[in-house]
Amino acid sequence: MRVARRKQSLGGQSMIRDMITAMDHWALQDPERLAYDDLGHTNTYGELKQRSDALAAHLDNMALPAHAPIMVYGGQTFDMMATFLGIVKSGHAYVPIDTHSPVERITTINDIAHPAAAIAVSALPTTLGDTPIIDGSTLNTIFDQHVDYQVTHGVSGDETYYIIFTSGTTGKPKGVQISHTNLLSYVNWMLSDDFKLPQAPRTLSQAPYSFDLSVMDWGPTLAAGGTLVALPKQVTDNFKALFETLPTMNLNVWVSTPSFVDICLMEPTFDASHYPNLSRFLFCGEELTHATASNLHQRFPKARIFNTYGPTETTVAVTQVEITEQILADYPRLPIGYTKDDTRITVVDDQLHPLPAGTEGELLISGPSMSKGYLNNPEKTAKAFIKMAGKTVYRSGDLGVQLDNGLIMYRGRTDFQIKLHGYRIELEEVNHYLSQEDHIQVGVAVPRYDRNHKVSQLIAWIVPATHEFTNELDLTKAIKENLQGGDMMAYMIPQRFVYKESLPMTPNGKVDIKSIIAEVNQ
Amino acid sequence: MDIKQTVLDILNDLTGSDVSGAMDDNLFDSGLMDSMGSVQLLLQLQSQLGVNVPVSEFERSEWDTPNKIIAKVESLA
Repeated sequence: MRVARRKQSLGGQSMIRDMITAMDHWALQDPERLAYDDLGHTNTYGELKQRSDALAAHLDNMALPAHAPIMVYGGQTFDMMATFLGIVKSGHAYVPIDTHSPVERITTINDIAHPAAAIAVSALPTTLGDTPIIDGSTLNTIFDQHVDYQVTHGVSGDETYYIIFTSGTTGKPKGVQISHTNLLSYVNWMLSDDFKLPQAPRTLSQAPYSFDLSVMDWGPTLAAGGTLVALPKQVTDNFKALFETLPTMNLNVWVSTPSFVDICLMEPTFDASHYPNLSRFLFCGEELTHATASNLHQRFPKARIFNTYGPTETTVAVTQVEITEQILADYPRLPIGYTKDDTRITVVDDQLHPLPAGTEGELLISGPSMSKGYLNNPEKTAKAFIKMAGKTVYRSGDLGVQLDNGLIMYRGRTDFQIKLHGYRIELEEVNHYLSQEDHIQVGVAVPRYDRNHKVSQLIAWIVPATHEFTNELDLTKAIKENLQGGDMMAYMIPQRFVYKESLPMTPNGKVDIKSIIAEVNQ
Repeated sequence: MDIKQTVLDILNDLTGSDVSGAMDDNLFDSGLMDSMGSVQLLLQLQSQLGVNVPVSEFERSEWDTPNKIIAKVESLA
C-alpha cells in the first residue's frame, strides 16, 4: 500500500498522504463499508474502487493527452464520485459541472477548459464541439467491468486534482486549479483536532459538486471511511419531501451554506431531539449570522457549530472557529476564525503593506492549499496571485481584521467598497446593521451611480419581518429611527428603502448583490 | 379581504412580474419561483392573510401555479 499512515500528535485521525490510496484503503480493508447513500440506495467502498478502477483503465486506453482535464456532468450521485476517482487515478484533473447549470455555462467552460473528454453521468443538454463525450450508457458498460487496476500514474503532488469554475456573474468564469497537494492540506486539516469530526461520519452532501463547499463534505468523509448522504436539489426544492427525507438520513455531520440551514430552521422539529446523532455543523460559503448560529445553538445545544472561511482559490476554507456560547456572547458579528496551521493570512493596506492587528485591510493568503492559478488564464492569474517578498500570495479581495487573540473578523469585499460623499462604506457592513434591525428580515444595500460613476445614493432592498404598519412609509420611518439610534454611522444609512418579498440569489445560494446593483442602475 | 387579489399581489411582488394572465403556468418551471421564493411566500401568507402553512407540509406540486396557490390558500383560510 502506498499510504503511509501516522498518528497526528493531537488528533485521533491519521494523516492522509494520498487521497486516492486513502479512499481505496477502505475498499481493501472493508469493501462492504458504505461510501454513499442516495436516498436509501447505497453503494460501498468496494464498488467505489471497482468502478473507478474500470473507468481509469478505460481512460488510459483512450490515450488522452497526459494530465488534460476531463469534464464531468451530473448531480449528487454515487456514479459522480466513482467518475471523479477514476479520472484522478488515470492522472487527469476533473471539471465538475452540476446538472442545474445553464447550457451557456457548460459550453463556455468547455471553450475555456478544452477538456480532453467529457463524461455525461447525466445526459448533457448540449453538444460540446470536438470534445469526445462518454455518454451514460457507455459509462454504465465501463462500470460493469471488473479490472485489476494498479494506480501507477494517479494525480499527485502539484498536478491538478480538480478544477472548479467560479460563478463569475460578470465576465468569463475562471477555472480554479486545485492540486493534489492543495487538497491534502485541506483534508488533513479537516481531519485534525480543529474540527474533531466523529469517526467515519454520515455526512450531508447537499452542495452541488461544482461548488467547492461540496469538498468539505466528500473530502474528509471519504478519506476517513465515512458515508456521504446525498440530498439532491429535487428533494430540497420540495419542502414536504425535504422534511420527510431529512429525519431518515441519520446524519452525524452537517455541511451547508447558512442560507440552507435557515430553511431547515423554519421547521420546528429540526432539533436535537429529532436528530439525536447530528453532532457537527460546518458552514462556509457566505457569512454565518449571529441570528442563525444562536437559533441553531438553541435547537442543538450539544452539537458543535463551526464557522469557516476561504476562497475557492485556497481550497474551500482556511480559517475555522467553533461558535460556542462564549463566542456568541462576545461577538455580535461572528468571527470567521483562526488561520489553519500550515497557512499564513496577512492583512494589508491598498499598497500591500502589512497592517498591525486590529486594523482593517485586504486578506492575503498563502500556504500549501493555495491554487497554482486559473486554467488557461495567465492574465487573471497574474492579477490575483502576486509575488511578495519572493513568495506567491493570493489576493482574496476580502477585507478583514485580525484581532489580538488571532481571530479574524470578516468585513466585506474590496469590490463592494464604495465611497459616498467622501465616506468609505463597506456594503456588507451596512447589510450587517440592516439585518439586525427589528423590522428587517434580510436587507442589502447597493449603490446607485450617477453619470460620473460616482455613488449618488445608497438603496436598501429589504425583506421586511412581519409588522403592523399599514403602509411602507411608516415602516421606513420606523426602520430609519431604529438605525439612527443604533451603532450605525449616519452616512451609512441608506437613503431609499425598497421592499421585496425575496432577494435574488446566486446558484450557490448567496444573495446576488451584483444583480441588484445592475437592476438599480438600469 | 380578497384572497385571490392578495395572493396575486404577493406573487407579483415576489416574482417581479404580473402573473394574472398566466394563472395555470408553472412558476417553478418558468424560474419565477424557487426555494427561497417559497419560503417568502409562506411568510407572506402568514403575515398578510393569517394562513399558516407548516413548511413540512409544503408539497411543491400543490403550489406550482397561481390558480393552485389561490385554491390552496382558500381551503386553508
